[in-house]
Amino acid sequence: MDRRGFFKKLRWFFYALFGAVLALPALSFVTYRKKRTRTVVFTVSEQTDHYFKQGVFLIREGEAFSALSAKCTHLGCTVRFDQHKKQFVCPCHQSVYDAVGKRVAGPARDDLQVLPVTLRENRDIEVVVEV
Amino acid sequence: MRYNRGSKRFLQQTQKVMAKFFNKTSLYLPRLSLAALIICLVSGVVLAFQYRPFGNVFQNVEEITTLVPYGFFFRRLHYASGEVFAILVLLHVADYFFRSAYKRQSFFDWFQLGLGAALCFFILFTGFILQGGLEGYFAGTILRNLLELIPFVGSAASHMVIGRGHAFYFLPYLYHCCFLPLGLVFLLRKHIRDWLPDWGSMTVATMMLFIYALAVPMPKALPPGAETSFITGPWFFLGVQELLRHFSPLWAGLFLPALFAALFLSLPALSGVWARVARYTLLTGAGVYAVLSVKLYFF
Repeated sequence: MDRRGFFKKLRWFFYALFGAVLALPALSFVTYRKKRTRTVVFTVSEQTDHYFKQGVFLIREGEAFSALSAKCTHLGCTVRFDQHKKQFVCPCHQSVYDAVGKRVAGPARDDLQVLPVTLRENRDIEVVVEV
Repeated sequence: MRYNRGSKRFLQQTQKVMAKFFNKTSLYLPRLSLAALIICLVSGVVLAFQYRPFGNVFQNVEEITTLVPYGFFFRRLHYASGEVFAILVLLHVADYFFRSAYKRQSFFDWFQLGLGAALCFFILFTGFILQGGLEGYFAGTILRNLLELIPFVGSAASHMVIGRGHAFYFLPYLYHCCFLPLGLVFLLRKHIRDWLPDWGSMTVATMMLFIYALAVPMPKALPPGAETSFITGPWFFLGVQELLRHFSPLWAGLFLPALFAALFLSLPALSGVWARVARYTLLTGAGVYAVLSVKLYFF
């Protein structure tokens, strides 16, 4: 390789190095996402069994409450509750969960996510869900 | 004897007419599809002045359709021209495939064109998301979760394509309006130069699409809060949707489509028995995909 060819190759090497050095921070910048949560509040009148609000199902068993994420564990579609069959059904790929979110059938492999519930002083129920 | 000679002549004549017809079809398919692309781009630019990818996107789209003067027309025109472009591209690719015309292409050219065809469907997919309805929201969510499954780079890839919360529609919007059309035009640049529509094709495509846009309403999207027990994605995604019901998302949503695409793109590089195997595999795959789509939609 002559001197001119060597410097040409060297120049391309530095271009590539410069590109890589620039690409890494750019990629980190582009793919950064802040973790966001949403607080869903169920007022007293909304505290019925399988009440749905903003991606959360409130489950009432007597005086005890629990909450389930409405996000299907297969590919994230929002499940709906079938009152007659007492089942959650995903409209996208037909995964089925029972009334407390346990997986029954379909392509989903996991149960619906159980979310922690907090009882406020004014008897509202607060559920924090990841967006 | 005379009968035999007559039937032979008839057969030859029929073959001649058919060959002429298919040659003409082969010539007009790319011209008409590029004419549809031009109409799609122009109507898209018009729509961009009223479309907002934030807030209640569904309501914004409804307002464009019902409130903004001629909004219904431009939406229908954009939708119809996009769909027509994709369908004509598909027919053009099939035409090339059946005539084994890819053998005349260099691997690099074929790769660029194949990638362009794939981009065209990705543009349709982002357009489907941007309607802001329940189907669009679910389609975007599924795409994001599928991308997340890609080994090593999944999380970064999903963050680069679809946002979360109020920013859900922003990245698909950027891709739909900017990155993907630019990428498509870049990949098809040689093709566009070779097949730039003549005035005849342009007039025919414009007339047909204008009449269609005036006469045929668009399929109604479900509002985001609607309750439904069964929902379908865009027509070209139905086969994947059916596969996702039976196989793991990684296989059904990523590996199988990627294998199909890789086999298709490598066609000019294959020869002899491998080329035949690839052709039959692709034909069988396309047939199975069509059957799966029909099964999901109708049964």
